Amino acid sequence: MNSNYYKLLLLGGAVRLYFSQTSLAPLIGNRVEFATPLNSFKRLQEGVFLLQQGVDPYRGDLVHESPLLLKALSGILINYAQVLPLLYILLDLCTATLLYLLGITFVKQKLQQQKGECEDYAKDTEELQYNDEDKSHIAELVLLAYLFNPLTIMSCIGLTSTVLSNLLLALILYSMVKRQLLICTVLLAFETVRNLYPFVLIAPLILLFARRSVPMGIAIFMIFVTSCFAVAGANFLVMNSWNYLDGTLGFIFFFRDLQPNIGLFWYFFTEMFEHFRTMFLITFQLNATVLYLVPLSLKLRKEPLLLATVLIALMAVFRAYPSLGDVGFYLALLPLWRRCWKFMAHGFVVFTFFLITLSMMGAFWHLWIYAGSANANFYFGATLAFSTGQIFLITDLLFAHVKREFCLYNGQKIMINGEEARILLE
Amino acid sequence: MIAELALTLLLLLSPLALGQTQIHQFQYQTDEQFHEELVVRPLASDHVNTYFQFTTRWHGVHKNLYHTQLTPRVIAEILQTYDVKELHIGLTQGLWRYETWGYPIVEATGGAELWAWFSSPNLTDDSVNKQWMRLANVFSGILCASLNFVDNTNSIAPKHIFRPQFMASGNRSHQFVRYATLPREIVCTENLTPWKKLLPCGSASGLATLLNSGYIHNTKYHSLGVKVRTLCDSDDPSNCLVELTQTANLVYDLKLLEQSNTDFSLRRLFGMGLNGYCEMASSSKIYVQLNEQGERFQLTPTPLEEVLSTVGGHNVLFGVYDIQQQFEGPGARLFNIAWIGPKGNSKREHTSPPPLYAHRYLLGNGQKHGRIATEVTNTHYEPLPVVLMELVPWYVHAYLHTLRISSKPQHLHEYTSNELKFSLLHYAPGKQRELPTHLEIGFMLPARSSALITIEVDYLLLKWLEYPPDANHGHYIGSAVIGSQLPIGRNYTALPLEGYLFQDSFNASQTAYTLTLRTEALIVSLPTPDFSMPYNVICLACTVVALAFGPIHSVATKLIIVERQTTIPRNLLRKVVHKLTTRFSQAIHQYCCQ
Repeated sequence: MNSNYYKLLLLGGAVRLYFSQTSLAPLIGNRVEFATPLNSFKRLQEGVFLLQQGVDPYRGDLVHESPLLLKALSGILINYAQVLPLLYILLDLCTATLLYLLGITFVKQKLQQQKGECEDYAKDTEELQYNDEDKSHIAELVLLAYLFNPLTIMSCIGLTSTVLSNLLLALILYSMVKRQLLICTVLLAFETVRNLYPFVLIAPLILLFARRSVPMGIAIFMIFVTSCFAVAGANFLVMNSWNYLDGTLGFIFFFRDLQPNIGLFWYFFTEMFEHFRTMFLITFQLNATVLYLVPLSLKLRKEPLLLATVLIALMAVFRAYPSLGDVGFYLALLPLWRRCWKFMAHGFVVFTFFLITLSMMGAFWHLWIYAGSANANFYFGATLAFSTGQIFLITDLLFAHVKREFCLYNGQKIMINGEEARILLE
Repeated sequence: MIAELALTLLLLLSPLALGQTQIHQFQYQTDEQFHEELVVRPLASDHVNTYFQFTTRWHGVHKNLYHTQLTPRVIAEILQTYDVKELHIGLTQGLWRYETWGYPIVEATGGAELWAWFSSPNLTDDSVNKQWMRLANVFSGILCASLNFVDNTNSIAPKHIFRPQFMASGNRSHQFVRYATLPREIVCTENLTPWKKLLPCGSASGLATLLNSGYIHNTKYHSLGVKVRTLCDSDDPSNCLVELTQTANLVYDLKLLEQSNTDFSLRRLFGMGLNGYCEMASSSKIYVQLNEQGERFQLTPTPLEEVLSTVGGHNVLFGVYDIQQQFEGPGARLFNIAWIGPKGNSKREHTSPPPLYAHRYLLGNGQKHGRIATEVTNTHYEPLPVVLMELVPWYVHAYLHTLRISSKPQHLHEYTSNELKFSLLHYAPGKQRELPTHLEIGFMLPARSSALITIEVDYLLLKWLEYPPDANHGHYIGSAVIGSQLPIGRNYTALPLEGYLFQDSFNASQTAYTLTLRTEALIVSLPTPDFSMPYNVICLACTVVALAFGPIHSVATKLIIVERQTTIPRNLLRKVVHKLTTRFSQAIHQYCCQ
């Protein structure tokens, strides 16, 4: 931790604090791009208020936060409502710190790994290898990418509970690289009961901790399942009813709220023919969870952290209620793969996609909802393009990783008959 | 202050235990009685209120409950089958203007409104839900209204605002109430005709002949009502009394009726004079209000009898025409009453608003968020207890934590930051496609002040097939119901609970007058999808999924290989030429080899 880290952290906090005082904060809190039915602060307030009034918040359709967090936050919200933005900022800075530490540890481990493997590497591949400078450099890039990404800043000042999800995910990732199995599993179980989708992260967890021993893998899985039940049980004890399961996991799985967001679900299921709904619902949920789990786990079995990054990113694209805060989180993980960047071909395209679609989204939303001069198709088009951009980014990262692996061992310039050869997947 | 408030609220909410005295008062001589009444009240700003009330009272023992003479058998059967003890149905078009017209004799909200009390020893909440839907379906057939759309997604069980009117006060745990409104319902001839068929004389004779659909549906406000109440002796459950009241409440705008002057007559209002009375009726009477707005008119013929009614310190003078008396003696004729107004320029009459009235409107713009604002005004010099019930349909999300009651003195225009505390709150959160949001709040409204009750709502995007045919017309939010207890009888015309004839409201002074008001219904425009492109959307979204699936599939399954970089030119034209020449050379090569 050098002085740069503190400076950046302070600056990041200051930026968030400044914006949380402006009129932007309530505006963001109501934007569909940031606040989904799952993470919106307004619904959290409603849940706390209903708890206070003695009404079961999960009887209705507004509250989807898990009971444990709802209870914990209700204490703060009732007694210290003024400091809540400050708390969210602090939590966000914690996430940034965790990601920074994650970066440092990750590069250290990579360097160690390289020491063992460096004899096998081809000659001119120094720029593909992690070096000592990366230790601080990559961690700082991660910190920068998290602290000063407008998406995470907005998501923080809008008081969305994505801040909490990001913190939990960062904790999971950090305890992964720190090899803290139990903490990692319990946190994952907690986040799974809240948000359903993170359960896919059990794959990198098993790959990392089981080290190819099947009984160990099964044991980890059992620990995970047990802690899931334990968390669910704890939630039950808080509410004294199982209603919350339908209010959180059921609400996510069955996609009951068609409120527009940045994902693929909302318009698809608005326009869906009723008798196909169940089939497509299952298809889309499989696509968001287990469809890519097995092939990617096989392919990236040596890189559990990359697997985790890709899974988190795919989750952010394909989940039922995605928000821009989720996107901001996985973008901050990209600098970890800085040594793959050389092979990422669509950087500019993706950047342009993001820039244009994000600005179009706001405009089209206004035209549809307020001006009445556009219809839902416009906004849907923007979200569709945004998802496409994200998918380009993820597949690009995967391709880049595969190419880097290949070049690391075979050299960057491969000659066949005196001519430079092309690398292809076939 | 707090004690006073609690007391008043308690008074407001205490169950009305009246049954006992009533059943003994009832005369046993005749099994079934039918009464027809018409009340004509000139209202402010050249409006006339005509109110028809047809009451059938039937004292039958439980065993012969199907042997009805005057009561329609279908009503008797329904009461038996569905354990209904009290039923109210209103089919209304138009809006009652409380501020200028005072209170109506029978309250109703725009569209269709239905509420019922069920009571039976072995009823549960679920069985009541089922019975309620069946009941609504039956009345959908009886009245040709869309009451079949009443189901659990738009029905609630009001907790505080409705009290059973005519039910033996006993074990409250076996009493269930359900309430639903269909604000979109359009009331027309098709409802009037079956409604008239429920009358003993139908539309053949009696006051009901005046109800011609061509005239009724041209009015500014018309409301058809059906009310059924039962009372069984708590000692002898087979000793029951069934009362069916059918009401038609109409408001005419005289300016629309006759351009030149404000004279009117029964003939002008209904298209024809009265041809007689219903022979089955025990009494048929016409009541004409003579003072207040009625003072401006001269009546021909003059009423034979005048009645002064003093209710809560407020005097009302009625002229009474007994139709049976009028038609004594032989000879066919038509009976008509004419109101002749003063000639020359009539001065604008000043009307004082009633003690309590309410309005409702929407705040905010856009199709995403909004606020429902209900404004209740107390013009009385004492604080009034107010209970407000909101039924927010499932396609609108209401946020309870945003509920605010701000108040202002009546003479100010701006609401201050002064907030009223609610002393009573009942809330059942809504669920999409399943349950409406049900909110009841009670508070004390200070003297001569208004309260603005606001709650924030979100408008939901629905599935494309859930929108009604004209999606951009908007979706309705039913009216709020406001209950209170008035200490004075000004503008108060409703019948006392134990009464069943209009004349029972004469001199019926009480300590407090129970009042329920209905506000305007609201119409919200929900965001709409494009209805024309389900296929496109499905294709496009699946394409994006495939965009991810393809590359990830190839990364996971394909091997990396190294291929000689061919010297393919960049230029498109040259590319084509290159491809053709290589093909050509390959073909020649093959040919040569053979």
